[in-house]
Amino acid sequence: MKHEIEFIINGQNMQFTVDSNQTLLEVIREELGLTGAKYGCSTGECGACSVLFNGEVVNACMVLAPEAAGAEIITVEGLAEEDELHPLQKSFIDHHGVQCGYCAPGMLISAKALLSRTSRPHEEEIREALVGNLCRCGAYADIIKSIQVASRARR
Amino acid sequence: MITRKPHIIGKPFPLIEAQKKLTGVSCYAGDESPREGLLHARILFSRRAHARFQLLHIEQARSHPGVTALLTGRDLQARLGTIIEDRELLAVEEVRYAGQPLAIVAAETPEAAVEALALIEVAYEDLPAVFDINDALAPDAPLVHPQVATYRGYERVHAQPNSNLAHHLSFRRGDAAKAMAEAAVVLEQVYTASPLQHAPMETHGGVAQQLDDGSLMLWLHSQAPFLQRQTIAQALHMPPEDVRIRTQCVGGSFGSKVFVSVEGLLAAIARETQGRPVRLHLSREEEFQAIFMTPAMKARVKMGVDENGRIIAMQATYDWNVGASIDAFYLQMQAIVLAGTGPYAIPNVEIHTRAVYTHLLPAAPMRGLSIAQVHWAVEQHVDELAELVDMSPLAFRQWNLVKGGDQLFPHFVMHANGLETCTLETAKAIGWQADAGPDRSGHIARGKGLAMGWSPILVSPNCKSRVSIQCDATDLCTVIVDGVDIGQGYYAFITQLIAFELSFPIEWITVEPTDTANYDPHWQAIYHNLLWSTGRALLQATAELKRQILSYVSEMWEEPMSNLDIVEGDVISYATRRRLSVLELLQRGSDEKARPPVFRAEGIYEAPEPNDELDSLLQSFAATGYAAEVAVNMETGHVAVLQLAGAADVGHAINPEGVKAQLKGGMVQSISLTLLEEMRFQQGVPTTTDFMTYPIATTADMPQKMFPIVVEVPQSTGPYGARDLSNHVVVGASAAIGNAIYRATGVRIRHLPITAQRVYDAFMRHHASQNSS
Repeated sequence: MKHEIEFIINGQNMQFTVDSNQTLLEVIREELGLTGAKYGCSTGECGACSVLFNGEVVNACMVLAPEAAGAEIITVEGLAEEDELHPLQKSFIDHHGVQCGYCAPGMLISAKALLSRTSRPHEEEIREALVGNLCRCGAYADIIKSIQVASRARR
Repeated sequence: MITRKPHIIGKPFPLIEAQKKLTGVSCYAGDESPREGLLHARILFSRRAHARFQLLHIEQARSHPGVTALLTGRDLQARLGTIIEDRELLAVEEVRYAGQPLAIVAAETPEAAVEALALIEVAYEDLPAVFDINDALAPDAPLVHPQVATYRGYERVHAQPNSNLAHHLSFRRGDAAKAMAEAAVVLEQVYTASPLQHAPMETHGGVAQQLDDGSLMLWLHSQAPFLQRQTIAQALHMPPEDVRIRTQCVGGSFGSKVFVSVEGLLAAIARETQGRPVRLHLSREEEFQAIFMTPAMKARVKMGVDENGRIIAMQATYDWNVGASIDAFYLQMQAIVLAGTGPYAIPNVEIHTRAVYTHLLPAAPMRGLSIAQVHWAVEQHVDELAELVDMSPLAFRQWNLVKGGDQLFPHFVMHANGLETCTLETAKAIGWQADAGPDRSGHIARGKGLAMGWSPILVSPNCKSRVSIQCDATDLCTVIVDGVDIGQGYYAFITQLIAFELSFPIEWITVEPTDTANYDPHWQAIYHNLLWSTGRALLQATAELKRQILSYVSEMWEEPMSNLDIVEGDVISYATRRRLSVLELLQRGSDEKARPPVFRAEGIYEAPEPNDELDSLLQSFAATGYAAEVAVNMETGHVAVLQLAGAADVGHAINPEGVKAQLKGGMVQSISLTLLEEMRFQQGVPTTTDFMTYPIATTADMPQKMFPIVVEVPQSTGPYGARDLSNHVVVGASAAIGNAIYRATGVRIRHLPITAQRVYDAFMRHHASQNSS
């Protein structure tokens, strides 16, 4: 079955015709060509496809596209403003919060959601916020550090 | 005043190339490939380990709406392999492991591809299979490869006809049997390790397209594009110039993206789609079921110690279950023999390693070249020995350590190294000396353990590293390399080195994606030890480029070249104080010349030719040290790592924060490999198929305290004295955790991984044996 849907992604209003069984991740990557959110497991286990959905972190692979009707979605492409990187992105570059980088967009999205709830999170809170984002390179320590430094710089 | 740019080698350096990864810019396999007319490929994998089979209803699948092309082993009989062709692109009549490709389809939509494959019925006729080393080596065992002697590359392996022994190597020094008989204390133990999955976050796949001239263009996430080009071209009987591979970002490899897996099949189907591009992207389940495994190990280790606490004899056998293919594991066998003693100067040694075929997934080494598993055995054994001879684990190690100047192999003398420093520093970090001994007062037992590591750094045989740098007004400074950044900081290193040598701002420097089209068709690039080999080539290229720039300006200014230098992007004269920005030079050039200048320089590093000697590819040893403190729940067997210190001797830390990032990543990965990860099979079919059944470490598994320690004992042959690291950071960690668990609980676990269940079972056996005695 086809659905006509409309949602706001990274501040832009978009309209699509989607299938009932199409996922939000497929729409974001295949229809919109936004390659930040990644295919990692397609079962909601790894967090590589994390996006903000009405301000909450969701695995875009677990959201059916029709459910996104009317939602406001932010992907990693929506973090930088104009040419200015988001403080989190800058901090990941400066503090080695990236190795292979495949998990990085998901990490940034989870971090952004955390910082909008808690402006100066403790290490424990950051660990907890990232527990659904797998990083095979094991770069967690530097990811946490990147987020901490960014949260301090924001003030 | 003219000042030289501050020394940026050895200083923190940002990951400038990471920006595209952090902003979502397309750079992973297939992201940057054409989308118009894109087809979707899907593979039918065998669900049986060993069987004769027939594919039924093929024509129905082929004519299913949306299907563009379909290939089976009947259409394409092609063998696959880099060293030895012991794999097939598509199985023909017989499958040798579950997960072996049987057919591939390309269709208009992913759904159509799935539907088409669902129409195919596979009629299996099961054959007897072998899954473990002992069964496979039994005299009447069914053979995985009865025709192995006919495979291309057979002459390179030391196989045993009419057996499943795929390859073996040995090393002997002194007379181990005689010395063992004379030893005061002898200990023999068996240590085992389960098979693992590399499990990169980015699963295997890519995009392939046949171009108008019949050649193939592949966008892959390859750790070794040149090796893969050669292998794919050979499998498809194409000239290598007709296969082009381009790689930009790689979403994790850990050894799984060096040798060809499904990429050869992707290339094959792209020849059937009339020029339309084809995308293949394995699901996580397929990745777990059909891509390489890291082989299971069984190590039998025996050491003899004299009255003075010196290890005088060692006999060890390391056996590896390489599944249905030795191809991707062949080179590791040499590393295993060379590292087989652990970092100890033992006068009488006999080391054997055997790779055994079974009806399981093809093997490929994990990060650390499987030397991590070797150390799992050796470094626990040494701990057990230390206790037997009543020495502290630290002192016993120091007493027996390899030293710089030791003649270890016929052509290899050990270089100055940081082995001892690594151990001492990690011990200090976790408070080893102040340790009052294990605390078993409550139901949580705490204890500390140590282990060391040494990993042979081998040069890739018959390979080279070549870089070229071009400076012009349009692109400023463009660098072409034949290595790949897989997240280890390779591009950052290249940028840093060029920025330092040419005194250019880092913003000027762009490292191009690795593309086989930039090299001649038979080029074989070094794919390990990139810091060392690319670094040496870069030093050559930058020296030449600087000479060209200064020579040009020297002519223009009519000043001797010796007056000139480049400082912070400007050419300057120390004599006349003249100054000209390199940017202006590139844009305008000399008034007397018609065109602005283009400077271009190349550097090449050639590895020495390998010969029959075991140590002919050995360049150096990377030293590592680990120390751990664990808390073990004596009721559930659950282990938590409280503190973990990891040290590595990198010669010279060119990018110290980058080194620490690799160390910290290695520590987390090591906790994962040591406590959580284990591939399981049922009748040869993997049953660990997702991150629930095959968990990897999350932020919840991190230790409370991690200590990354950088040790620097310069390597005279490396760039700025540096030595490669990222492959070796996991070596020694598992044994340190295992030793800590023993110290905490008094129970020794000799099988990896140390899951809570295994610890619990060991407690039960321990109590039972104590009660019965």
